[in-house]
Amino acid sequence: MGVELRANNLIKRYGARELFNIEELKVQEGDSLHLSGDNGVGKTTLMKILAGLDKPCSGEVAVTPNMKSKWSTRLHPKVVYLHQTPYIFSGTVAANLAYGLKLKGLANRQIKETVCHALAWARLEELADHSAHLLSGGEKQRLALARAWVLAPGLLFLDEPTANLDQQSVASVADLIDKMLEGGAAVMVSSHQKNPVTELCYRQLLLSEGQVTEFGHQREARYHA
Amino acid sequence: MQENLLETSILSLELLFSFDAELWDIIGVSFRVSMIAISIATLPAILIGFALAMVDFKGRWMVVALFNALMAVPTVVVGLTLYLLLSRSGPFGDLHLLFTQPAMIIGQVALAFPLLVCMSHSAFQSIDKRAWETARTLGANCCYAVITIMKEARFALLAAVLAGFGRIISEVGCSMMIGGNIMSYTRNIPTAIALETSKGMFAQGIALGLVLLILALLLNFTLASIRGKGQLV
Repeated sequence: MGVELRANNLIKRYGARELFNIEELKVQEGDSLHLSGDNGVGKTTLMKILAGLDKPCSGEVAVTPNMKSKWSTRLHPKVVYLHQTPYIFSGTVAANLAYGLKLKGLANRQIKETVCHALAWARLEELADHSAHLLSGGEKQRLALARAWVLAPGLLFLDEPTANLDQQSVASVADLIDKMLEGGAAVMVSSHQKNPVTELCYRQLLLSEGQVTEFGHQREARYHA
Repeated sequence: MQENLLETSILSLELLFSFDAELWDIIGVSFRVSMIAISIATLPAILIGFALAMVDFKGRWMVVALFNALMAVPTVVVGLTLYLLLSRSGPFGDLHLLFTQPAMIIGQVALAFPLLVCMSHSAFQSIDKRAWETARTLGANCCYAVITIMKEARFALLAAVLAGFGRIISEVGCSMMIGGNIMSYTRNIPTAIALETSKGMFAQGIALGLVLLILALLLNFTLASIRGKGQLV
């Protein structure tokens, strides 16, 4: 099921300093967006607000369809945010992959099957029973992507996903993100540099001086709904 | 003198390994009271430690400072305070709790609580904020996210519990004042040692001291092995 996001009049301030004031931002099903901007302009803060991990000082973010129950404290189940350096829970690679699946109340057999598929998807099969903390940077990034992939997100926020990765790891990560786009997910990638992951993005956004400007499309849309 | 010490030590070991009823009664009271007290104090203290680490609110620094200060309150002062509250002329005198095991449990909860709060606060402070955000974005509600963070900090939290237990099982000031040192009821290891020593009967005191020493060693070895497991890889 496709997910669409609309943000209106988003303002975020830290003390007297206004970080950004964004009139409108829409992300539609199947979109791929590259959010660029200098260090410290607020890319991470904006993405966290859009993902529900932070609150704006004013404005609203609406994700449709609204799959949150009224009294639940869960965030939208189809929106996932990945940190620049993903946090990996203590335990094995397989246990990390199963984390979100257990929260869905799936049967153990189903969780095991999905984890197997995810390990193959992320090319981490041989590391399933290894301590996740022992993975390399690239492997951790793939694990974090797989951890999100198993939840079938409709909207994925990737914060500088290729920072600190070597070329081979960047290519691996780009491949996985391409697969997620193929699967119909909308993806927003923040990066202040061009790389194979940002090359996948159709829409180009620039966050500068507190405003988000869309400055056109870099190529034909591949997966636009 | 040396021969007396040797004889007394041998006698104390005999008391221990012959399962002397009176001795093991005292050990039983000690462990029962302290286990109940630590069980009561642990969860609320950990949750308060979590809130202090993760929730920003006005005056948080004052609350943290208060708990740090409470850690340093002498056990006998805690005992005196509770004595005044629980005595017949005190506000809770009608509950008839003075010189009972429940009173000792209350006292030990009061002693363990600040320590548990401070150590769990430190434990949670050392956990990356990304852990919380990752749990939430992967679908955890607030409650499950708290459990996840507790799992991530489990070694440090276990160290806090062991440290708290170590503090209360070996304290004498509070237990003496509000327990009354009644045989087979409120006489625990530290109060028994104090009594036997004051009577000049050292064998039982040494035997009980050995129990505390072995317990201290066990707790510290456990803590050391936990810290080893909890190290960053």
